[in-house]
Amino acid sequence: MEARLDSFSYDDAIVRKFLFATLLWGVVGMLVGLLIALQLANPAFNLGQYLSFGRLRPLHTNAVIFAFAGNAVFTGIYYSTQRLLKARMFSDALSRFHFWGWQAIIVAAAITLPLGYTQAKEYAELEWPIDIAIAVVWVVFAINFFGTIAKRRERHLYVAIWFYIASIITVAVLHIFNNLSIPAGPLKSYSIYAGVQDAFMQWWYGHNAVAFFLTTPFLGLMYYFMPKAAERPVFSYKLSILHFWTLVFLYIWAGPHHLHYTALPDWASTLGMLFSVMLIAPSWGGMINGLLTLRGAWQKVVDEPVLKFFVLAVTAYGMSTFEGPMLSIKSVNSLAHYTDWIIAHVHTGALGWNGFMTAGMIYWLAPRLFQTSLYSKKLAEWHFWVATLGILLYVTSIYSAGITQGLMWRAFDETGRLQFPDFIETTMRLMPMYWVRVAGGTLYLSGMIVFVYNIVMTWAGRPKTYDVFVVQAAPLGTYVPPQAAPVVGGAWARFTGLLWHRTWERLPLTFSVLVAVAVIVASLFEILPTFLIKSNVPTIASVKPYTPLELVGRDLYIREGCFNCHSQMIRPFRHETERYGEYSKPGESIYDHPFLWGSRRIGPDLAREGGKYPALWHVRHMQDPRSITAKSIMPPYPHLLTQDLDFATIQKRVDVMAMLGVPYGDAINKAESMAHAQADLIAADIEKAGGPAGLKDKEITALVAYLERLGVDIRAVKPVTTPPGGN
Amino acid sequence: MTRAGDDRPMMDHEYDGIQEYDNPMPRWWLLLFAVTIVFVPVYYLLPSDIGNITKADMYTQEIAAFNAAHPEAPKMTAEQVGVFVGKADAIADGKVVFMANCVACHRADGGGQIGPNLTDDFWIHGATPLAIHTTITEGVLAKGMPPWGKMLKPEQINSVMAYVISLHGSHPTNPKEPQGILATAEAAKP
Repeated sequence: MEARLDSFSYDDAIVRKFLFATLLWGVVGMLVGLLIALQLANPAFNLGQYLSFGRLRPLHTNAVIFAFAGNAVFTGIYYSTQRLLKARMFSDALSRFHFWGWQAIIVAAAITLPLGYTQAKEYAELEWPIDIAIAVVWVVFAINFFGTIAKRRERHLYVAIWFYIASIITVAVLHIFNNLSIPAGPLKSYSIYAGVQDAFMQWWYGHNAVAFFLTTPFLGLMYYFMPKAAERPVFSYKLSILHFWTLVFLYIWAGPHHLHYTALPDWASTLGMLFSVMLIAPSWGGMINGLLTLRGAWQKVVDEPVLKFFVLAVTAYGMSTFEGPMLSIKSVNSLAHYTDWIIAHVHTGALGWNGFMTAGMIYWLAPRLFQTSLYSKKLAEWHFWVATLGILLYVTSIYSAGITQGLMWRAFDETGRLQFPDFIETTMRLMPMYWVRVAGGTLYLSGMIVFVYNIVMTWAGRPKTYDVFVVQAAPLGTYVPPQAAPVVGGAWARFTGLLWHRTWERLPLTFSVLVAVAVIVASLFEILPTFLIKSNVPTIASVKPYTPLELVGRDLYIREGCFNCHSQMIRPFRHETERYGEYSKPGESIYDHPFLWGSRRIGPDLAREGGKYPALWHVRHMQDPRSITAKSIMPPYPHLLTQDLDFATIQKRVDVMAMLGVPYGDAINKAESMAHAQADLIAADIEKAGGPAGLKDKEITALVAYLERLGVDIRAVKPVTTPPGGN
Repeated sequence: MTRAGDDRPMMDHEYDGIQEYDNPMPRWWLLLFAVTIVFVPVYYLLPSDIGNITKADMYTQEIAAFNAAHPEAPKMTAEQVGVFVGKADAIADGKVVFMANCVACHRADGGGQIGPNLTDDFWIHGATPLAIHTTITEGVLAKGMPPWGKMLKPEQINSVMAYVISLHGSHPTNPKEPQGILATAEAAKP
């Protein structure tokens, strides 16, 4: 036995910082969520161009995922990692840089998203300078984390640390490869991928952001805080190992299930489905290991709000990870895709699993971090029940909304024509459910406010100065294997004896490399064929690049966040082709940097919008949607008729597109004059039809040009707004 | 399931006071995992009509099945369309359809706005009841008139056609300027 012990202390100040950030952004993110829920129930809640649904929906998702859940993860990681490794964080300065850097990124997001700066990729909306900042801060976090591992005083890595390692490595890979883009301005860029490939990369990222930002780190937190709070050993070490590795390896493949029946090749879709189905057991492994850890401690759940939150969180995790694989089955997905069903699914996860894990963890941490007792256990109970009721109302109403709309879209009458050909009918049917969702969200947010009050009051009861506890532990010397009984039996016995895994657990570098290999190899199995096999995306001769004006119009479509409510991807079902026209082909979006297929149809699909209505129709519709469709819930965009179109940057945009391989030909040197020519034509057409005069310099003209172009290339119809002599 | 009596803490596994049991993985869980893995080859072997089928084939089959069950109805003739002109109940039904679908472009009084004036003597795509019926059913995509044949039921198209013809000569205030070619009032009758 070594006698020499190191004396050191844990950095809890950084944990307190992250904890308060979690609470602050939690309230902000949920408040924005409530506002956009109100906007869907009544469009009057769209408060001008900066606070309309299309711009706030990404703010809500980013705030809740990266600000609320992100800070919660960092709170838990910074607290538990130090204790599980018996070491203070590698560098207090890096910890602080991580904290302030992350908060600065959040503030940048909160400013740029309402201003309309977005890459139009879900959960990856932030523009390129912020993406670079995220990468830098993430790398700093990684250095700090792996540095702490390097100076640890605990020989073996505990399962929570495995999950943290997987999260940190994978998020870095996902973030970097999905956000590769070429800047076309200080806050504007075009994805280097287009169409099918961009869609594939986005949902490889999008699905695994759920996996490695909202699932694996929270499983790590569960493995630390649940046995701590229950004061019970973890149920099964073997289960930890098997479910960890299978989860990490299988999750990566599942992304294509977000693109069933789209222009994604069938093989990718099938792989996405099968790997999603195989994910049930690995996911449930985590749930089982959590819930069974509570054996013998169930009486504590009755009077301990911390455990109540954990039990409901893990149960919600089990439900949503069963539902996810079910939704990934193609035939189920054909009903659920584009509907609120998906929104209900993610809120089971976000409100239940992430929200309640965070609450339980913070209720457990607060007395320890603030060195006093929790201000009120009773209020914590209230928070639990109010928030649980909120989840129930939210989820049940939005499930029924999703299924209702999905069934209405596909309903045919006895003569074989659409029973609800008018899209607005299917929207109106959802209104009562949207109001119930508002009620559920209000309850959940109320619970959150009670939560914040409780923690702030606990903090108010802190001692004048915090005690700094000195911890003593022996440094790691050279490894001496324990006197273990020799394993009897052959290779199988050695395999199931798991001593090989025990060896990995004391070799962090080997462990991390293995995780990285699992993730990257699994990714390449799908990425390489998607990019290399030409037959995946058969080209269509008549599909041409957007004109310079249409390209700017597309950028305005992106700025206003139209893709949040309108898909541009008609699936090969008769009920879709009857409603929208010929189904979308892979070759149609080869010039779409980024792709804009969308994931939700709050309004109708726009893939074949071109030529459906005259230009003046669009002008009036954008100005005041309710003047065209009385019950429409679309926000109004009157500013498009008054704001000047930015002709000066058009050449730059076209040049970047050309750099990405879009065959622009003539437009390379005269994009601006071409845009003016087309704008004049459209403005004249609008005026001639009896619309307002003088729109040739206004943004609306470009947007109309884009909308009139959508989906016309493979049809005989020429868009009314294309100048003679080509596109 | 495991019994509580099986619990054996792993030796040498203690992290910040957290211990781990050496419990076996639940049988049912392993079985579930095995079933989902076996499902992979099974799915690839499934006959195409219940499982593994490409999108394009699936769509072709759906359309073929529909066409087999719904032979295309013969086109309406001038006589069939003509019987609705001037019929009071058709005009009343047509007004409802018109107000719900057409006013955004043609104005509530038919005087025209985005779309042409429907009350004057000028018609772009023909003035006969059959021509109007066809314009409504098939639309004029190049001009922004949607094909209503997919949106409206056949009887709704008949009645909205009757309503549009009934608007003729109603002289709304501030109408859109005449478009198309002059058709005499006589020509608007079958």
